Amino acid sequence: MSGALISAMLALALGVMVVRRRTVAIALLAAQSLALGAVAIDLASGRSGYVVAAVLLSKAIVLPALLYLLIRRTPETGPVAAAASSIVRLACAGVVALCAVLLVPPLGLGDAHTEHVAVALVLVGIAIVTMRRPILFQLLGLIVAENGLSLLAVSVPGGLSYVIEFGALFDLALIVTVAAAFAQRIHGDLGTGDTELLRGLRD
Amino acid sequence: MTDLVPALAALVPALPLAGLLLALLARTQRQADMAACCTALPTTAAALTLAAIALLHGGRPALHGQWYLIDGASGVLLAVTSVVGLCSTLLSPTYLRTSGRSWSTAARSRSLYYAALFLFWAALLAVPIAGNLAVAWLIVEATTAGSALLVAFSNRRAALEAGWKYLLLTTLGLSIALLGIIVLAIGQANAGHHDLHALDWHALQEAARALPKTPTLIAFVLLLAGLATKIGWAPVHNWLPDAHSEAPAPISALLSAALLPSVLLIAWRVKEILQPSVGAGTTRAVFIAFGLTSILVAIPFLWRSLPWKRLLAYSSLEHMGIIGLGIGFGAPLAIAGVVLHVAGHALAKALGFYATLPLLRIQPRAAIEAPTGVVGDSPATAAAMGVSLVALSGLPPSPLFLSELLILLGGVAGGYPLITAIAAIALALGFLGLLHAFMEGVVGEPAHRRHRRSREERPILALTVILGAAMLACTAAGLLLPGSGFVDTLTRGTL
Repeated sequence: MSGALISAMLALALGVMVVRRRTVAIALLAAQSLALGAVAIDLASGRSGYVVAAVLLSKAIVLPALLYLLIRRTPETGPVAAAASSIVRLACAGVVALCAVLLVPPLGLGDAHTEHVAVALVLVGIAIVTMRRPILFQLLGLIVAENGLSLLAVSVPGGLSYVIEFGALFDLALIVTVAAAFAQRIHGDLGTGDTELLRGLRD
Repeated sequence: MTDLVPALAALVPALPLAGLLLALLARTQRQADMAACCTALPTTAAALTLAAIALLHGGRPALHGQWYLIDGASGVLLAVTSVVGLCSTLLSPTYLRTSGRSWSTAARSRSLYYAALFLFWAALLAVPIAGNLAVAWLIVEATTAGSALLVAFSNRRAALEAGWKYLLLTTLGLSIALLGIIVLAIGQANAGHHDLHALDWHALQEAARALPKTPTLIAFVLLLAGLATKIGWAPVHNWLPDAHSEAPAPISALLSAALLPSVLLIAWRVKEILQPSVGAGTTRAVFIAFGLTSILVAIPFLWRSLPWKRLLAYSSLEHMGIIGLGIGFGAPLAIAGVVLHVAGHALAKALGFYATLPLLRIQPRAAIEAPTGVVGDSPATAAAMGVSLVALSGLPPSPLFLSELLILLGGVAGGYPLITAIAAIALALGFLGLLHAFMEGVVGEPAHRRHRRSREERPILALTVILGAAMLACTAAGLLLPGSGFVDTLTRGTL
């Protein structure tokens, strides 16, 4: 079951790269985080493993809820013009994911599929941040990359220490909260969440 | 004295966290300032005590407990971070008095400013004493949240842009670094080490030879590439000039003097622990590549007519490059230079950023263009800028003159004559660039004929004297470093 869920996580990340509506992108992220939680439950070997899985599942609810509140507070009058068409974006994300499969050597996990998808998620997350102009999508890119890291972490034999899992999640929550505050301020200043307009600092 | 270490290691980051709560409870601006002052003094006292213990113990293997690791390098970073943190806290009311309303009401803004400052300071003090790679990463990640808010504190569009860029790029960089840490954790798990302590600096050092070579090399590259973003090394330095120039001056000082070298310390430790598996040639090459690239990228900007804080930001890029180069050379002379450079750069750069407070009152356009002839407007401000620039350019008796000389000699001793020659030429060009800034900006033809005394002049004059004396003390101490047990221990990488 884990193999299919892991593949689904990558497909959902590609979806975040392509879709235009913010609510749909948040729903895709929530689904990806739920899939991650399900993978964590499947791989959990002890009590701490189940605790980590529960934390990841709660992340799947809390972060999308926070992001949904953010889009309620930052209404867009129209869609932000895309830097590239959805086909181009999908092709770029696909190439990035393919690079992860072809170029990343074994990391020692003994499960090449998980390793490839985890690294691909990190790279696709970075690609989303780079290619999507709306501030919310850049934030979603960060979380997609973080989900890739969590996937690799829960797949470590015996699991990664829950202290690290909790710490990373706490940091992510802090970053998302601060980023949400930024998004509101930037939206208040520009009247839109288009980061293309934030290009005043140059040398 | 070493009996005090566990208590002090817990107390040092705990005190600013207590200050954070006090700041949030403050109802008025005066209460917030008082809370900040009452927190900063004991924090600095505790951190300096711990730093003194670490420095006195520096010639021997590191002190370590379940959660902490304190060596000579920790001592230097603790001393630097506590002194700059204290100065930044005490100068914050001066900044806040003129900053106007920010993200909230004036009183609330001030409370939030101090809360974010103390979160940032606590994390900065915790980084050099964290005994575990993953915990150190978590703390560095935590610095991002607090400092990003501070970068954008003025709420101007440029500050929002700088803060957002800083938040995004450094978080992505740290994600790459975390990927490296997880790859290391996989290696440790395969060797039967599953718990958090498998990522302790000591545990990793002991296990390094047994770790599989290819995944460990990948982990090293990912960690260095990720941390480089936060250190501000070229070519992943894009956030640095913007964040340093848009942040409030006391925060810019902390970013440059404390944050960048603290993250560099983690990178240094990663190099030391993974060197047996990855190979000394590879680890040194990565540091030298980042170091030299940063210096070469920074030099053209030091020649340009830039706003004062932006010039200092590019100077930070150059100096982080010099430190990276010294660590890469790895010879005892270079390591002595690195230790001295961290301390000297912190003091000189902090003074430069603090000088912004009166400068922007005297020449408001210095926020967007290069200052001109400040000495004609304000001799005290000109003195602070001059001392800072002279020290940063590496003119004797600046500690940076001695440290750069040691690093270059270490390069020759380490068997890198060509790279040393390129670095020496680049440093000479950088020196000329800063000298030009000094001639034009500080002692050149003044744009205003009238001396406009500002309230910020008196504290900046006092700081110039104190930090100038501290820099001379660093130069004197630096003369004792080559050949000392302190440097020998750091060179051998004994954690």
